[in-house]
This record gives sequence, C-alpha cells and structure tokens, in this order.
Amino acid sequence: MSYIDELAAAIGKEKVLVDPSERFVYGADWSPRTPDEFMPPDVVVLPRTTKDIQRVIKVAYERGVPVTAGGGLTGMLGGAVAIYGGIYIDMTTMNSVVEVDAKNQTVRVQAGATLQEVNDAVHPYDLWLPHQPESKWVSTVGAAIACDNDSTFGVRYGKILSCLLSAEVVTGTGEAIELGHRKAHFTSSGYKLMDLLAGSEGTLGVITEATLKLEPIPATRRVDMLVFPRMGAAVDYLSRLLKAGLCIEAAHINCKRRLKFYTHSYRQKHGKDPDIPAWAEALLAIAFAGDTDVVDSQRGFALKIAKEFEAQLVEEREIVDSWWASKYTLEFEPFKQKWPDSQKEKKFGAADPGVPVGRLEEFYHKFVEVAEKHRLEIIGMNAYLEHPNSIGFSLSCAVYVDYRSADEVQRFREFHDELSKLAVAFEGTMSTFMSDTYQKAPYLGVEHGASLEYMRQVKRLFDPKGILNPGKKFPRQVGK
Amino acid sequence: MTNSLEEFKDELETCFGTSCGFCERGCPVYQSAKVKTLCMKGRNRTMLGLIQGKFEITPAVVQAAFECTLCGNCDRWCALKNTEHTRAFREYLLKHGVEPMKEHSSILASIKSYGNPWFQPRSARNRWAKGLNIPKAAPGKQEVLFFAGCTSAVTKQLNRSLVASARLLQKAGVSFATMGQDEPCCGSTLLRVGQTDAYRELSASNVERFKELGIRKIVTACPGCYTTLKKSMEDAGAKIEVTHISQEITQLVKDGRLKVNKSTERMTYHDPCHLGRLGGVFEEPREIVGAVAKFVEMPNNRYESRCCGAGAGLQSAFPKLSKDLAAKRVAEARLTGATTIVTSCPFCETQLRTVPGMRVVDLMELLLDSVEGEPRNNGSRSSS
Repeated sequence: MSYIDELAAAIGKEKVLVDPSERFVYGADWSPRTPDEFMPPDVVVLPRTTKDIQRVIKVAYERGVPVTAGGGLTGMLGGAVAIYGGIYIDMTTMNSVVEVDAKNQTVRVQAGATLQEVNDAVHPYDLWLPHQPESKWVSTVGAAIACDNDSTFGVRYGKILSCLLSAEVVTGTGEAIELGHRKAHFTSSGYKLMDLLAGSEGTLGVITEATLKLEPIPATRRVDMLVFPRMGAAVDYLSRLLKAGLCIEAAHINCKRRLKFYTHSYRQKHGKDPDIPAWAEALLAIAFAGDTDVVDSQRGFALKIAKEFEAQLVEEREIVDSWWASKYTLEFEPFKQKWPDSQKEKKFGAADPGVPVGRLEEFYHKFVEVAEKHRLEIIGMNAYLEHPNSIGFSLSCAVYVDYRSADEVQRFREFHDELSKLAVAFEGTMSTFMSDTYQKAPYLGVEHGASLEYMRQVKRLFDPKGILNPGKKFPRQVGK
Repeated sequence: MTNSLEEFKDELETCFGTSCGFCERGCPVYQSAKVKTLCMKGRNRTMLGLIQGKFEITPAVVQAAFECTLCGNCDRWCALKNTEHTRAFREYLLKHGVEPMKEHSSILASIKSYGNPWFQPRSARNRWAKGLNIPKAAPGKQEVLFFAGCTSAVTKQLNRSLVASARLLQKAGVSFATMGQDEPCCGSTLLRVGQTDAYRELSASNVERFKELGIRKIVTACPGCYTTLKKSMEDAGAKIEVTHISQEITQLVKDGRLKVNKSTERMTYHDPCHLGRLGGVFEEPREIVGAVAKFVEMPNNRYESRCCGAGAGLQSAFPKLSKDLAAKRVAEARLTGATTIVTSCPFCETQLRTVPGMRVVDLMELLLDSVEGEPRNNGSRSSS
C-alpha cells in the first residue's frame, strides 16, 4: 500500500488530490520565479479537522514523507512551496470560526481562515483583528503566524504575535498540543513556546487553531501624507511624535520612487504620476484612529510640528487615497486592480531586512547600489513601523523582476542574499516579514551564529524525523 | 473574434507572476468547493501547465474548465480577462478531443433542431404573447424589437415576466414588435460552454436577420441575451442598440409615463451576473424596486454580488454545487430581513426559487402589479 493510499484510507479519498493538474497549481507562491519553475507536491490533502491533520502527519511520520502546510500561497520567498515534494496540506479548507468571546475581545478560529474571514466574522461585534497585511484577503491565520508577515497597523498593535494568545499545533509526530495561555491576554508562566511559532514556517508543526486578541473598531481614521527632504527627517519626525505621546495607528516611509507603485488608481484617473515636489526624497503616510476629537487633536499636533522637520503636507487627497486604497482598503476601480495591471512585464521582488534606526538612510543608498550592481530596476524602499509605539522598522527593498528571464530571477536572488547579509553587517536582521525559507537557509548562520544549533535542537524536539517543511531554515536532514 | 487559449499565454503568465489570489474571496464555486483549480488563480495555472505540456488533459482538467458559472466575480478584482480565459479554456478542450459534457451537447442539438436549448417546438415561443396584440416584426415596419429570449419564452412558468414587460411597454405607449416563433436563440449558452464555432455561425446569421428587418433597437428581458446580443453587434460592427428591459422601463417611470404605487414591504434585489457585473446595469433595477417597495441591500451587491449558481452550464452539469450556491444566496437575502427577492433573469429566478423560504419575483412582474391604469394602446403607436 502506498502512503497516498494510506492517506486516503485515513482521511477519506475525497480529501486527497493526486491528479497532476490539481497538484501543479500548488507548486508556486508569490515569489519571483520563472513560469516553468513550478515545484508541485506529490499529493495534496484537504483536511477539515485537527484529527485529519494528525492522521496525515502520522502517515508521513511512519513513512518519512515531507509535509508542507500552506494557506493562500502568497508568500514572497517560497516558504510554503513543497520543494522536496511529498504531502501538501491545503489549510484553507479549515476556515471555521470556533468562538467569538466579545467581552474578552478574543476569537478562536481554525488556522485556515483568512484574515479577512476573521474580520468578517467579528465585525458584527464592533471588533477587528488589526493584523493587516496587503494579502489579507487570502493570507490565512496559520500562514500569518508561520511566516510572521507584516501589518499595516504594526506601530499601534504590533504584528500577529501581539494578537496571538494561544495556538493548537500538530507536531512532526502527529501529536496535537496547545501552546499559549488560553484566553488570558498575557502570562508569566512557563517557557513561551507559543512565541516559537511566529516565523516558524511550519517547520515545528502545523498550526491548526488559534485564539486571537481583537480590538474595538475605531470610530474615525484619518490618513495623511507628508513629504520630507530626507528619509532621516521623516524618522526624526516620527520619533518626536512618539516622544510627545501620540498614538499613531500606521506609519510608512516611502522613498520617492516607491510611491509610484502604490498610485495606480491615480494614474488610471489622471493619466500621469502624482505631482510630488522635486525636493522631496521621502513620503510619510501616517494614520490616527479613534474617537473623532481625539484623532483631530493628535493629528492637529502632528501637522503643527511637521514644519520643524521641513515637512510639507500632501494636499491632493487623491494621492493619499490612492495609496491607502492600495495598502489597506483594496477598493480599486473595477477591473483595474493594481497587481496584474502593474506587473504585466515584470513582477515585484523584495528583500526584507531590518537595520538600526540611525542607519536607515545609509542602508537605503546601499540598497540602490546593490540593485544597480545586479542590473535590477528599482521599485524603491518602504520602511514600515511595525513594533507597538516604537520607532523600529521593517524594510521592504523592492525591485522589478522579469520573471520570464531565468537570468534575471537568478540576479534577483543574488540581490536578495547580498542585501540580507549586509543588514547583519549593519547590526540588523536579515528578515522582518518574509521569514527565511530555503532562500536564506544556506547562510542562516550569518545571522544566528552559535544559537543556530539551539534552534536545530528545538526543531528536533518538535519534528524528530525532519519531515515538516524540509529545506526551510535548515538544509534538509533525513531523519533516522 | 474569440481568442484561443494560446493567445492568452501572456495573461496566464501575468497571473502566475502576480499570484495575488484576490479572485478567491468572491468566487462562489471556490468558496463552496475549496479546491484551488476551481478558482481563477488555480485555473489560470492549470491552463498554463497545459500549454507548457506539464500534464495531459484529465477529468480533473475538464472539471477545472467547466465547474464555473462564468459569473465574472474574479474580473472584479483583476485587470485580466478571466472569464474570457475560462471560456477559451472550454473551447480549447473541445478542440483537443474532449467530448462535450452530455448535458451541454444536448443544448447544441436542441438549438440546431428547435432554435432553443430546451427541446421545445418553435411554436412554443408564440404562447406568452397570446392576447397581447403585439405586431410581428416585418421589414421596415418597426424600429424597436422586444426580444423575449428562449428560456422565458418556452417555459410556461416564466411567461408571466414577458407578459409583464410587454404590458408595461404598452401602458407607456411604446411601439414595438416581436419575432414570434421566428425569434432565434441568441447563442449565449453555446458561447459559455465552449461551442464557439456554433455560436459564431448563429450570431452572424442573427445579425443579418435583424438588419433585414430594419431593427434599430433591441430590448430584451433576458440578461444572457443582453450581453450576448451586445457582443454579436460589436463583433459584426452592426449599429443596432441593445438594451435591457429594466433600462427602458426605468426611463419610462422617470418620464412619468408609468405611475407606481409604493408598498412598505421589505424587498432585496439580486443582481444577475450578466446584467450587473458583466453588463454594467446596476442602478435601474434598484430604482424600480425602491419605487415600489422598501428596498434593502444584501451585503454582497453590485460588482460583489454572488452568483445564484445557474450560469454557464453549471446548473445542468453540476446540479448539487449549483443548488448549494443558490442556498447561500437566499440565506444572505434572508439576513436582510426582506420577505422578497427581486431579480431580473429567468435563470436566477428559477434557481433561487428552488430554495424554500423566500418569495422570488421578477422585476417586471413586481412593477406591473404596482402600476396604475390600463393599456393606452395595442403596441402599434409610435413612441415619442
């Protein structure tokens, strides 16, 4: 009996896809790769319950078969691509909302629910999940945790880990365990094993359910854009606002080039790029949210002191709205959605380092230098504040990649690697929202040094045979 | 001209390069089945893999092509012509040796023999207009043609909507004719199930017949006919205007040529895919419902409206899935507190009626019930 037959017997053959065409579509995510670079799994399973996943992993454990779990497949670096084949678990079939506890402001969901589905479910309670990447319509809760992806509102609410109270995970032996602190909002008890799941890429276990902390929906939101002569001036301005005690909901610094990527609807309407002053090198998009008078007061203060930092408010609302639509509301004109419209010839590719605040501008120049060295067209840099009430950044250093050219895809990967290593040399980190995947696995020691061995030990504890998403973070090790 | 699958290769690669998956959220079939090949991102990848020779045509490939209502929800979120890809995918499979699904091949046979997809004699088209005293179209005798559409014309239970349309036009004093049993099939179903050659032949012949009759404007009560006849005119470069009955009637209400009584009943409106998302007609039906009742909107409306599950051969070939989609849509309507779903498509009407618990009413029937007065003429007077 093949292991695929065993899977069918264990969970029902209607939940097992083996046709080559059905497997093929799972062979690539959002990351730059050529159209013939699909890496399909050998079999796809569509679980409905945690028990289904336990049964699948027990078969995989017995047979030593790789298991990769995935959600919307919008990863930017191949994290959920089953590079060694084996079993792919499509988690999107597990998207039920288990419980909304409005009083406690928490929700329990199956991990295959998209972030939008969670928000649709809790909206009637006047609550929302503020972890909001641009991929929220397809990014699942489990994938958001496993990838530790970015959030538009990180400066106020943090990323997914700040919302995560508890998670059920099926380990590499098929055991289901709960990590975290149930519905309590925090704990001082035990080791914080739940935190290991953030950015774990499914290498420690398959996340099957999660309890998430919600926030009240703010009554008002005001989004503005300010232009600065230097990136450093925008950073200083944000530091000043935080020192003043303002509660910023979103803050994103775009280099001048990057704005163009976010203003498609403006171009659709006006047939030209937005007019930004020639002297402006950085654009800060900033949002305040809450009760109207509080928002007005905070916004008023922020705009009042802006001139001390040589900033100028962008008065043309359509520029701001166009950016916000692209970033958050996703309210595009029908049939003019930005992604394919902007990427017919080339596609978006990025490195995601983090560097010390004082070296942002210096790193920006390095990014331009490295991109030019690898002959890649620059989209630009975006610095997102993603730590609650703090000045720390996620950097998105983006280029266009001609994904039909194998040579250019290779040059993109070299660009990505060089910039990632450079960030460590800058006393920063290689990744802030895309995780490591197989791309950074060969040089993960550059970042983690001796601690990498401790990580290996953790991995062995959860996944003794090394069957869970092999090749990610660590080169594949075939278990005993 | 209709593109073949290879001509979409660049678009398929663009979808692969983009891979945003925004099409998944609103796709009724994907949200029900949760299989990635049954949504546009996965379907585009399937087509790409097929062109690349990564796999052969299998039953799963055929399922990926045909298990779709072509409702166009994916196009709402995307710059690519996804529904066109799917239609071309079907055509590609039929040209590469895939036998038409038996439910779909019978449609072709019926259209060839009877001029409608439902195996009804041509004379059945005469039934709905009995006693209405509507002139039959003849060369040079009229400019406006009321095009009934096969489904409503030959299905007894749906005749009332045509009667209502005709009577409203008469009450407002509009001069029009019909083709009676000579009315042809517009070819919508052929186009959707991939029988493109048969569609082209029929479409060209239809345009010639309309031209011979001297028709300047076609008013139809069927959304599928509406988008298909518009396409026929565009393909042929013919200068014949095509409108939907709701557009025509709304204007007549606005002009004061039809007096409406308003009730306090809560009613919601279901956008037929071909009329709304694919045809761009959203507001006129809402204006009519709002004029005769207390109108409440469903959360998914206009471009984001959810398909009833009847379209593009899904109802005939995948009945269970089709019914599931109808049940979801009715459940959404029920949550609005409305007692009635109003729609303007014979397929949607029939499909939504299969789910018990809510009244489903055709837009024109609803309006006729609330309009005062008697016919001002027999349909032979000129419109002003």
